Amino acid sequence: MPLSKDQYAAFEDVVGPENISAEPAILYSYSWRSGLYAGVEKFTPRFEAVVLPQSTEEVQAIVRLCNKFKLQFKASSTGWGPYNDAAGPGVIRIDLRRMNRIIEINEKNMYAVVEPYVIGAQLQAELMKRGLNCNMCGAGSNCSALPIAAHQGIGHMSQSASYGERNQLALEWVTPDGEIIRLGSLGSSDEWFCGDGPGPSLRGLVRGNVVPLGGLGVYTKAATKIYHWSGPPIFPVEGISPHYSAGKIPHNFSIGFYSFPSMDKLDEAQQKVGESEIALELMGFNAAMAAANIATSNEEEVKLFREFSQYVQGPCFMIIIAGNSDRDFEYKTKVLSRIINETGGKAIPKLLDDPVVAAGCLWRWLRSTGSIREVFRVSGCFGGEVGGTDCFRLMADYIYKTGQMKGDLIKRGLVYDDGTSPFTQSFEHGHFGHGELLIRYMPNPITFKVLTTEFLVQANETAIRDHYGVPGHVFGDAAHDMYGPHCSSYHLWLRRIKKAFDPQGASEATHYITVKE
Amino acid sequence: MTLAYYRQDMETCCRCSACKFIPLERVTGYEYVAICPSIARYNFHAYSGGGRLGMGVALLEGDLDYSDKLVEIIYNCQMCGGCDVSCKYAMDMDVLEPLNAIRIECVSRGKTLPALDRLITKLRHGGTMLPPAPSARKSWSDGLNLEDYTRQKVDLIYHAGCRIGQDPAMWKIARYSVLLLRKAGLEPGIAPGSELCCGGRAYEMGYQDDFLRQARVVMKRIEQSGAKTLVTGCAECYHAFKVLYDKFNLRGNLKVLHTSEIFADLISSGRLQPQQEVSLKITYHDPCHLGRLGEPYTHWQGKQLPGHIRLFDPPREFRRGTKGVYEPPRRVLKSIPGIQLVEMDRRKEYAWCCGAGGGVKESNPAFAEWTALQRLQEAGTTGADAIVTACPGCEKNLKDALKKPADQTRIYDLSELLARSVLKEEIDAAQ
Repeated sequence: MPLSKDQYAAFEDVVGPENISAEPAILYSYSWRSGLYAGVEKFTPRFEAVVLPQSTEEVQAIVRLCNKFKLQFKASSTGWGPYNDAAGPGVIRIDLRRMNRIIEINEKNMYAVVEPYVIGAQLQAELMKRGLNCNMCGAGSNCSALPIAAHQGIGHMSQSASYGERNQLALEWVTPDGEIIRLGSLGSSDEWFCGDGPGPSLRGLVRGNVVPLGGLGVYTKAATKIYHWSGPPIFPVEGISPHYSAGKIPHNFSIGFYSFPSMDKLDEAQQKVGESEIALELMGFNAAMAAANIATSNEEEVKLFREFSQYVQGPCFMIIIAGNSDRDFEYKTKVLSRIINETGGKAIPKLLDDPVVAAGCLWRWLRSTGSIREVFRVSGCFGGEVGGTDCFRLMADYIYKTGQMKGDLIKRGLVYDDGTSPFTQSFEHGHFGHGELLIRYMPNPITFKVLTTEFLVQANETAIRDHYGVPGHVFGDAAHDMYGPHCSSYHLWLRRIKKAFDPQGASEATHYITVKE
Repeated sequence: MTLAYYRQDMETCCRCSACKFIPLERVTGYEYVAICPSIARYNFHAYSGGGRLGMGVALLEGDLDYSDKLVEIIYNCQMCGGCDVSCKYAMDMDVLEPLNAIRIECVSRGKTLPALDRLITKLRHGGTMLPPAPSARKSWSDGLNLEDYTRQKVDLIYHAGCRIGQDPAMWKIARYSVLLLRKAGLEPGIAPGSELCCGGRAYEMGYQDDFLRQARVVMKRIEQSGAKTLVTGCAECYHAFKVLYDKFNLRGNLKVLHTSEIFADLISSGRLQPQQEVSLKITYHDPCHLGRLGEPYTHWQGKQLPGHIRLFDPPREFRRGTKGVYEPPRRVLKSIPGIQLVEMDRRKEYAWCCGAGGGVKESNPAFAEWTALQRLQEAGTTGADAIVTACPGCEKNLKDALKKPADQTRIYDLSELLARSVLKEEIDAAQ
């Protein structure tokens, strides 16, 4: 369904000839499949054209043209996951790459306003110069800093810097039918400080459990909460890639990696860490993830994983402490030491003994740069399970059950054997929790089939049967229709939202929900 | 290597977009986070390392053909290797090599750009890609009484390179370099008027056969000279002799040094003593071919092991830019009294390309200029009075871009500043 000349010309009038293309060479580059749950097909369906708008008004004009021509659109920033793809013909790709400005950093009121193509690393770097910090998307600081851009928006800083749903303040939204709506305080003034008013508060509606993943219009600007940073304005990184490190741990910072005798003990430890609010960052990495982060090649990763695994007594977490003063740091350090002693935690020997390695990890985990190493280096592809957001223990228990399912896949030789221990984290100092299970595999049809028709089915059955809530991987009609009846029939409401704001179904919604009677 | 050889590497691309940015640990602000001039200028994903890998897979699958647009995308890239470094911060896969394999495939199918074809025609007929006629190339060495290694046996060769040899404005780089070597007691041989192009650029433009033909001729002459060491001040030549010749097992035991390396060693050993003050605040531009691409070639032949992790037998060591030449030029500059070196945001393995490489200067000069202007702007933020580099290609492209704005920025080759400090008397006498 290629665009007609008139259609192409209409889009071209909006963005200019340099910023539109329907050339197969261009389109194929956008169709190379994501490494997340890579399956049988190497290429996703081709877009009809790609457009590169530079402003909200251009986005609006594109969206209106899509509605006029009965085309669909899919907007994206860095394009990491499969949510950025077209599911079939008749879709225009809105590549938001040219919308890359930091609109405002409001130090007094502690928020930042960004466009979609500002990446996490850029925003964090600018904030640190001002003694501030932000949550970082767990997928990496290569992803958008827009708090509504990426899935749940959970990340490495979530212990002290929360996550997307809670950080999102005022929002500028081009609805699927081409209206520009300004939510929260932006709806009644030109201020970005609040997501819920004075002005229309549709924050829950536009987000849902996970964000609409391109299925409900285009978010063109958003404000995100920002947080205190007590570290150096520019982290003193030395070395040549991939061997970066600060050389030594900066003053009043520490990093620790501990394993615990049981899940109960880890739970107790993380609760106490949360209650005492001592952690800048708390991530329940397992030994495989630690090895992946530290190693600079697969060979080294295998070696380190074997080494670390010998010392792991049970579930692990990594904790970063930052002191606002010498006394504050001393206090936090003592509290941590006491918690570790009380809960039977043990530091994993060798993992962070070398100060160069420790300082490297510290910065890597603050900047969130190791995620690509963790998930993609092994084979360029991974799957697994993304839990929801609820109390820590509930989420941890759920993800540990999926870990047992992974054990079966390992035994069958279907996936990479990096152990069955999942990843857990608490955020907002323990108010919420989350878990993920990483399954790495070489793309092949058999594994893909088993993952999608056995593993995920079992994971879903477990989540529903044992009341673990709606996991983060739930998107698309089939998944929502499966979970909805068990959760206040939310799927019916989600569908009504979609229908109300997108009467023509212009916003491609394969990973959200479509209108169907 | 053929494009098919790199299928697994290309299919390992996870679409993370890291290839578009400098290594994320190195981001220190909003500005200057881009690593790839191509995607920075043209914006469509196809113009990134990852985008091109996806196109490479589509070519192998027969889904794409070698259209004019594809050729345009493939050649609007300086082959600077920035994407390769950023990707390999995290990944075990090659990026730049497959991109070059696509170019080689383009050439083998006759899908080339006229501007590049013209260069190759010159190379085939004249042994060099640049005008003017070889007779004029002798001039840089006039009066120096250097040995002619095409006629006499020598231990050490100084290879000026086409860009220096054929551009009178750059002859001083070669003259200063050999005078500095001579000052340290070294007597290099040259090929006055008959120096041949190393062929490196032909390879990076995809003309692999022409490169190999040229390289064999060049190496034969070098071998006949008996030289054990070749020194060059051109980063592109350095990369060709050191890396590409080695890649194709043509280099033999020839030791290849960039002038910055030998000067740094000579200064360390006291054989060159920079004493004259050169009062200048400078910033150093790392040439891609000396820096990240100057890393020694790593030979590997083996196979990927079966299983769910990319492991190789024998283990495959990926070139990540880690062992490029970054410190020697800085050591030289820091040894000069009066020099104050300030660094740009993007430096060493993640330096922004000058814009000239990969045939872009010839096929799309506007893009080469755009890329250079980005670099000049970045250099401007350091407060430096001058940019120093170690490659005539970078120097020329940056200078060409300077002609546009009324910019007073000065651009020097490293050898010029060192000569001012070491050879003041000789320079004064010559003037």
